[in-house]
Amino acid sequence: MYHKNKSVSAALRSFLGRMGILFLLMFVFGSTSTAHAAGQGASTDDVKQRIAPLGRVAIEGQKFIEVEPIVSAEDTVEPMAAPRPSRLDYPNIGVSSRAVVWILAQMHLFFGALVLAVPLFVLVIELMGVKTGDERYDAMAYEFMKISLTGFSITAIFGGSLALALFVLYPDFMAYMMHVFGAQWLVYAGIFFLESFFLYTYYYGWNAMRYGNLKWLHLTLGLLLNGAGMTIMVLSNSWATFMMAPSGVNEVGVVIGDIWEVMKGPLWNPINLHRFIANIAFGGAVVGAYAAFKFLSTRDPVKRAHYDWMGYTSNFIAILAFLPLPFAGYWLMAEIYAYSQQMGITAMGGILAWLFIVQAVLIGTILLAGNFYLWSGMSRTEGSVRYQPLIKYIALVLVVCFLIWVTPHTLILSASEIAELGGSHHHILGPLGIMPAKNIAVNLMLVVTFLSFQIYRRSDKVATVSWVKAGNALLVAIYMVAIVNIVFLGVYYGYFTNTVYKVGSSVAQVTSTLLVIITGIVIDSLMYKNAKTLPSHWGRIPDRSQYALFALPIAFTWLMGLMGYVRSSVKTHWHVYTVMKDNSPDNFIPTIGYAGNMITIVTVLFLLFVLFMFWVANLGATTQPKPVIAGEGGVG
Amino acid sequence: MGNTKLSGMGGMLVISVIAFIIALIAFYGLNHLVMGVQGLPLNLDLSPAG
Repeated sequence: MYHKNKSVSAALRSFLGRMGILFLLMFVFGSTSTAHAAGQGASTDDVKQRIAPLGRVAIEGQKFIEVEPIVSAEDTVEPMAAPRPSRLDYPNIGVSSRAVVWILAQMHLFFGALVLAVPLFVLVIELMGVKTGDERYDAMAYEFMKISLTGFSITAIFGGSLALALFVLYPDFMAYMMHVFGAQWLVYAGIFFLESFFLYTYYYGWNAMRYGNLKWLHLTLGLLLNGAGMTIMVLSNSWATFMMAPSGVNEVGVVIGDIWEVMKGPLWNPINLHRFIANIAFGGAVVGAYAAFKFLSTRDPVKRAHYDWMGYTSNFIAILAFLPLPFAGYWLMAEIYAYSQQMGITAMGGILAWLFIVQAVLIGTILLAGNFYLWSGMSRTEGSVRYQPLIKYIALVLVVCFLIWVTPHTLILSASEIAELGGSHHHILGPLGIMPAKNIAVNLMLVVTFLSFQIYRRSDKVATVSWVKAGNALLVAIYMVAIVNIVFLGVYYGYFTNTVYKVGSSVAQVTSTLLVIITGIVIDSLMYKNAKTLPSHWGRIPDRSQYALFALPIAFTWLMGLMGYVRSSVKTHWHVYTVMKDNSPDNFIPTIGYAGNMITIVTVLFLLFVLFMFWVANLGATTQPKPVIAGEGGVG
Repeated sequence: MGNTKLSGMGGMLVISVIAFIIALIAFYGLNHLVMGVQGLPLNLDLSPAG
């Protein structure tokens, strides 16, 4: 059975040289779905029936010749273990195979994240337009779709290139993945057709289905588009999580469960949630950069007002989605530790731990940029003067917490430096390097970011309900007690009790932060119902605020590249953790510098493609003026 | 006028104290709940039980 798959891989490689992507994929899906059916889904009787004709070969015009089957039914159904490729089984193309796949996979993921996220919030904005009757929402939602439309094609191109690269460079691994996931690949391909159908009808039908029942039909198309997109995402997530924490297979990789058991590994749902939220934040940040670019490139007050509002909405989406993201990431890391403590320690205690310091810098950048944009945006309304004194305190908390978060625990020191320091840890800063301090810092940063968000939302309103004082007093009390509670939980359980309580208390810290956010939203929603609205002057915002909207997608992209690399690297020298070893020349965790360079290259490449995407979006609205031919319409 | 202001401030003080008591009870209960759910019970003074 294994030899059969080896020949399939070889055939695939030779086929690749001659045929295009479509035929390649058809061949792969066809051969592997058969292999899958024989290997895991088919019963012994099915296999006997299928191989029976081998024993009854008939030559035209002659009687049947009874031939003993070469392979018995028992041999055929022998399960397929994970291949064990040698170094020579990996084609050498002269450059690092890992680097090629790294760039293609990351580009595919960046654009995939973008085009999955944009239709999600576009649908919500469109629905808000229907509910409020304000056509500006509809126009903005349409413009968001217009920006991202090219992204769908770019995603598909990188996805196809990635598939080709994987089949060429990692044939045994891909043969095994095809075997394990079997017909699921066909389902995946089929959903692409559905997604394309819904995408084009949704986008091109926008103006044809603008009012009345047709609008609801259009919204339904948007919902189905998102349904198809989400399904594609969770299917492909199952491949990544299978590689990290395989399920539905035994210790040598033989498939022992059905496709559902293969998919629903312990990390599948944490990744699904984390990517779902992160995609929205990322998508919001990218379209925010578009709005900032358009805002800065025009002097027309009407257009500036429009793009200011668009930038504000994008930032709102990005920050709102970003707030719960650390908690989803925390759940994912907790599940990684629960699945394999060694894998968790590789991520957060070994060489990759340094990347979490870089992560802290990037998240700090995102929070500072997001907050700065909100504070700048408060200048749109006179009502903001009530809250401006709070900004300096929020900034102070952000900066102090940011510095705590980036403080490393274990420093790389020479012997003389250790002697000078009096040990491997600094006696004051050392305690700030461990998780309790960082948990306090990140939770406080999120709490005060929500405070920025809340005072921004309040700036153009005056509450008219009778219980304003009581509501505000309760909010102040919740903020203050929550901050004290987060610090208490981190310091007391983190430094003065055992590790179990230290880890457990971090969950209580998270729930404290969530309680602040939820009660803040509930109280403000009730308090500002039927509130008096103060005039907002869209477009009246300093130009420098727009650079925060550029900083956000750059930091988000780099962050995604960084943490995606960490997530993938925790498998160390395994293609499929503990099941299929990676024997390629790149089966090691590269140096931090190399990884940093790779992530930077991909980030820059993505940003260049995004610029291309924006340019194409504008190209459609540009009409070349008819050239004036000499002699026609000359000076009379 | 002075009395009205005083009673207004007094009223605000009472409201604030009540608000703080509510918040304290809520977060104290939250700590017990979240730690208890994880199998990490706490004593009344929030120290680890047992």
